Amino acid sequence: MKRVLVVEDEAHLAEGLRFNLEQEGYTVEVVDNGESALELLIGEKRQPFDIVVLDVMLPGKDGFAVVAEMRGAGQYVPTLMLTARDHSQDVLSGFSAGADDYLTKPFDLEILIARIRGLLRRGEWLRRDALKAAPPPDLAESFSFGDKTVYFDLLELRVRDQIFPLTLMEMNVLRYLITHAGRPVSRGEMLEEVWGLREDTDTRALDNFIVRLRKYIEDDPGKPQHLLAVRGVGYRFLAFPQKPAV
Amino acid sequence: MIGSGRKKSIAFFIALGAGMILVALLLYLGGVVLNWRDGIRLFFGIVLLAVIIAGVALNTIFLVREIRRNEQHDAFINAVTHELKTPIASIRLYAETLQTRAVDEAKRKEFYRIILQDSDRLLSTIEQILRTGRIGANTRPPNISPVNLPDIVSESVLRARVLHNIPNEAIRYQPLEKLQILGDLDEVRAAVSNLLDNAIKYSGSNARVVVETGMADGKYASVRVTDNGPGIPEPELKRIFKRFYRMSGPLATRVKGTGLGLFIVRSVARRHGGRAWAESAGPGRGSTFVLQFPLAK
Repeated sequence: MKRVLVVEDEAHLAEGLRFNLEQEGYTVEVVDNGESALELLIGEKRQPFDIVVLDVMLPGKDGFAVVAEMRGAGQYVPTLMLTARDHSQDVLSGFSAGADDYLTKPFDLEILIARIRGLLRRGEWLRRDALKAAPPPDLAESFSFGDKTVYFDLLELRVRDQIFPLTLMEMNVLRYLITHAGRPVSRGEMLEEVWGLREDTDTRALDNFIVRLRKYIEDDPGKPQHLLAVRGVGYRFLAFPQKPAV
Repeated sequence: MIGSGRKKSIAFFIALGAGMILVALLLYLGGVVLNWRDGIRLFFGIVLLAVIIAGVALNTIFLVREIRRNEQHDAFINAVTHELKTPIASIRLYAETLQTRAVDEAKRKEFYRIILQDSDRLLSTIEQILRTGRIGANTRPPNISPVNLPDIVSESVLRARVLHNIPNEAIRYQPLEKLQILGDLDEVRAAVSNLLDNAIKYSGSNARVVVETGMADGKYASVRVTDNGPGIPEPELKRIFKRFYRMSGPLATRVKGTGLGLFIVRSVARRHGGRAWAESAGPGRGSTFVLQFPLAK
């Protein structure tokens, strides 16, 4: 359910807005001054909101100051300013302070609701775009283990919210290890299969790749859980390492 | 009326500017002509320099005053815009809500009550503005008739209790004696009501207002309205009666108004040969407003 913050000091208007927005299916929070609004948006009592309906003439900090302050603090929730002042100067100050839309009182209820819907929809679209810009997991060939996902074609490793771009060769090594998960793979085998080199080539280059991959996929690269060395042979990849018995 | 005042001050500035240019020219020519006699030159120089300095000082003072008046006008327009549009916005919002939504019986009654309250608020703002126009323009002399002041005060107290939806003990009034004055019923009622509205508005949710009527100085009928509100700093006691004047600070943004109420109170008092003033022990210690009319002989 979408959450709306209404900042309005005229009690009648605030309650009328609350009633109507709740009828529209939104969850509504009402505060009557700028300071309380800022506490909810960027302060101690911070809560998530999908849209803010903000009056200009407020006791203490006015609406322009509130929107400027929240934008300054990196709070970019869509904000609709609502005010009796309709000089172009006022409208311009609203927008330059960081408001997304401006509606003058008295307003048409249907128009207000339509604008709120529009702003919420815009937010929804932006979110969808952001998802599209990210690799859609179902389209790219991927492999997940723990909280990590490898997107082979995109040369990306995602660990929780972080994205690590890998080089083509790093990815090839990782892909080879993953496709042979659980089985020890010798250095020579990897050199031959991944690099197309003869077995007797110097193997230190390969060890460097392993060190780098461990930095990405191991929580503690000093104590690897996934990319294990097998003495005398090479390496072994474990997607789901067994916890050592205590 | 406002326009003519401005035109006058513009003419004054033009005259003052022209005068200063003339004085400067005189100073220059005098310097050339009187160059041969040092004594006269010194004398003229000092006199004319004094005139220029006085002129520039006057110019600055008037300019600043004009700018302040302009600012007050802007603030007034903003305040009036807000005071007119807010209740209309509310009335419209509730009317549209009732029209478009399914509203249960209890809510519907509440919405009707809110609509009525807001139309009262709108009407009282409009009346203030119209009254200011009438009083300021001095076109209509008061409709004089004998009036019993305590009757008007009792009536205004009842009205204020209903309007602000406050318990009886929030405004206490004991009419004691008959005080006959000669006045315009409508204007006197407006002045008394303005004082009561202010006392309640500024005192907040636990307003305790005491109203007294009595004789003063043997020739005045007096109304005293004492509140437990935020009080008034000494330098503001007189200014608050000016037209459009509103104290700056958080209080004035919390309590909405047009800056006309006390101007009306004082104008009504003066039109009746009476007087009005404010007393306060300072910020945080409440205030008392006194309104006096001459007793009918």
